[in-house]
Amino acid sequence: MSQDTPTDERNGGMNRRTMLAAAGGTAVATALAGCSTLLGGSQSDVEGEADVPDEPIQAGLQTFTEGAAAVLGLQAQHGAELAVRRINDAGGIAGREMELDTVHEADAHVENYTQFVDEGKDVTFGPISSGGHAAMAPEVESQGVVNVSTDGTVTTLYEGTVEDPTYSFRFQNYDVMECVTAAREAVSRVGADEIDTIAGINPNYAFGQDEWKFFELAMNQLVDGGVDSVYEGFPDLGATDMATHITEINNVQPDVTFSSQWGGDVTTMMNQASANGMFGNTQLVGSVLYSAVDELERNVVEEADAISGSRNWYWGFPDRSRWAPNDDTFGAARDEWDIVPTAHFMSGYGAVTAWATAVAKLVDVIGGWPSQDQIARGLEGHGFYTPAGYHVMSAGHQGKSNAFSGRMAWSEEVGAAVLEDVNAYAPQEVSPPEGTTAEEWVNGW
Amino acid sequence: MELPPRRAALGLLGLLLLVAVPDLAKLSPGLQLRVVHEGVLFGLAAVGLNLLLRHTRLVSFGHAAFFGTGAYTAAVLASHFDVTSMLVLLAAATLFGTLMAGVVGYLSLRHTGLYFSLLTLAFGQLLYAVVIGRGYFGSSDGLAVRPGEANQALLFGVEFGSEVYSVVVYYLTVLVVLLSLLVMWRVANSPFGDALDAIGQNRTRARFIGIPVRRYVLAAFVVSGIYGGVAGGMYGLVQQHVRPEPTLYFLRSGDILFMAILGGFRTLVGPLVGGIVLVFLQDVGRDVTNYFDALTGIVLVALVYGFPRGIVGSLKAGSPFRRRLASLRADPSVAGAWLRGAWNAVVDAAARAGENLRIIIFGVN
Repeated sequence: MSQDTPTDERNGGMNRRTMLAAAGGTAVATALAGCSTLLGGSQSDVEGEADVPDEPIQAGLQTFTEGAAAVLGLQAQHGAELAVRRINDAGGIAGREMELDTVHEADAHVENYTQFVDEGKDVTFGPISSGGHAAMAPEVESQGVVNVSTDGTVTTLYEGTVEDPTYSFRFQNYDVMECVTAAREAVSRVGADEIDTIAGINPNYAFGQDEWKFFELAMNQLVDGGVDSVYEGFPDLGATDMATHITEINNVQPDVTFSSQWGGDVTTMMNQASANGMFGNTQLVGSVLYSAVDELERNVVEEADAISGSRNWYWGFPDRSRWAPNDDTFGAARDEWDIVPTAHFMSGYGAVTAWATAVAKLVDVIGGWPSQDQIARGLEGHGFYTPAGYHVMSAGHQGKSNAFSGRMAWSEEVGAAVLEDVNAYAPQEVSPPEGTTAEEWVNGW
Repeated sequence: MELPPRRAALGLLGLLLLVAVPDLAKLSPGLQLRVVHEGVLFGLAAVGLNLLLRHTRLVSFGHAAFFGTGAYTAAVLASHFDVTSMLVLLAAATLFGTLMAGVVGYLSLRHTGLYFSLLTLAFGQLLYAVVIGRGYFGSSDGLAVRPGEANQALLFGVEFGSEVYSVVVYYLTVLVVLLSLLVMWRVANSPFGDALDAIGQNRTRARFIGIPVRRYVLAAFVVSGIYGGVAGGMYGLVQQHVRPEPTLYFLRSGDILFMAILGGFRTLVGPLVGGIVLVFLQDVGRDVTNYFDALTGIVLVALVYGFPRGIVGSLKAGSPFRRRLASLRADPSVAGAWLRGAWNAVVDAAARAGENLRIIIFGVN
């Protein structure tokens, strides 16, 4: 029997099953990076070869599927669905296909997660909400089924709420990263010498307060002598009238106005700012203004000439002709859902990818299906590709990816806003090193 | 007051069901202990609200304030003061819920009817705004109820595993609910309860026969607030994280009121049943459709037209639902007569609407 079995030496130190599993892992990783068309060939030859269960992988995703926040939530859902489809087209993970069950996160984040666990899900993804994530993460630690959150990006999650996580992970860059990106962008594009005053219009909840706090901290460190905060307004989520804030901005005319508004609130604010001539009085800089791309109108975009972050992905950077995974993903989103994919699309795509590529690697290493503990360990420090580029799930469980920002402009070709002159910031430029809190880090500059 | 054997048997069955929930939840992934538990707690708050609704006929739109006060008391003590004792957290939640009810009641009960309802709504929203605007309360992210090194509240200093913790807290809730129902039953059947009934029927007459109306109504309001406070405190222990939207927002007050009506506000345990059913419906609804919010509306419409006495009220002897059920059993052909009657009612209503429209457009002649 031993004569029929290829030796490890003849296969470069790998037995047949390990090699096939590794090939499967590579296929999954390649498909998720969107590069399968570049490599060619079929990836389905590994199905059923690894020592793994036969039944499909059950995954659960909670996201906002209705209401105002669905602008972001549906993008995340579509991204996750695309990633799952690509995994299955590549033959699954060691032959196991994935099935994704999506529920509306509503205000029931913990209930949704425990329901998934009760249903025997192998992995869970989501949520979008920061508050919901803070409520859910300790429960993830108690239940012990790995959750890779799409968003829920509040800075304090792994600095206070769950300081030493085991099963809870977050793919998307967290608040401090996009605020520091926005501050660097403001300084480099407007000029440190040109900025004496700043103002903020941010949503009236923990996320908006977190974002304003870190933008203000970063600006004070980046501009010699600091900056004066001349106005800070916190309109409610879904507010229909932002005239008060816009009038104040017009009165005080700050050099830079920062906004972490997202989705429909961006549209409301920018339309009313345009109508009241605000863009002539200040430079608008936002962390996720581009999340409203499918709603913004041409005249507003052109008049605003705003600088917007795009979290850890912008579909047009680098140029799609140089980076086919972006082109494939952009095309898939346009064809199937008729949307311009945003960073929230990547939130869903990347969360699934982080888990899938880690598991594919673990199957290769251990020669069987990994336990939740093994998956959790495997995710720590795990590096992987998506159409957005290379990501690392840090030892502290926070995903670290490049952060993107550019000038919002109108594209006739796309029929929607695009980002021009995009800058990419490496994680170490916009996030603290392991073991340092975000606030200590910024204050220590 | 003696309990008829049939009702005692039903009560025992209900109690057995309540006790069996953790085991039943293990049998089906569709039934979550956490969801039933949440339903029981909101139902308990609705039992408190029902004291006002059933006896004094006052409609409060702000009962989430007491529920939220209880929940946030537990959360603040656990997060900022590292209080680990479950019983201390619960006692403090009850105390602060009671105090809040005293203050809100004192300020709201100067008015009756619509203005009372609006005032309770206003105080509830005021509390919500304060909590969401203050970093001390965790703003919209809320606060964890995970004190101490064990990362959980302890019962008599004992630390439990995650699954055991949820079952222990559930049985603690069952105990609290039984005690609360017993107290409410005594209150409702006491001279104080009769006085509240008299106040509900006619305030002026009640005052004329010597009942200190304002004092009694304030007492009833505070008692109902205690139920909200204790339920909120338990909610904090169950969820281990308290956020403003699910506990203090005015729609939560609406839910609590709706639970009382759904279960049957003229009954003792109806609001509790209403709480379990509504929370369960909302949870299942999310899995079935994106329009799950419409479920509440549909149930409300069905309730008003088909079961105006609520779930428990409709099952009681002598209710229109029971009468119809009995006549259907005696003669199934009566269903045809009902359908004909319903159709005739629709035709009549359409004819009346047409006639009204003719009068509006062309005048009486």
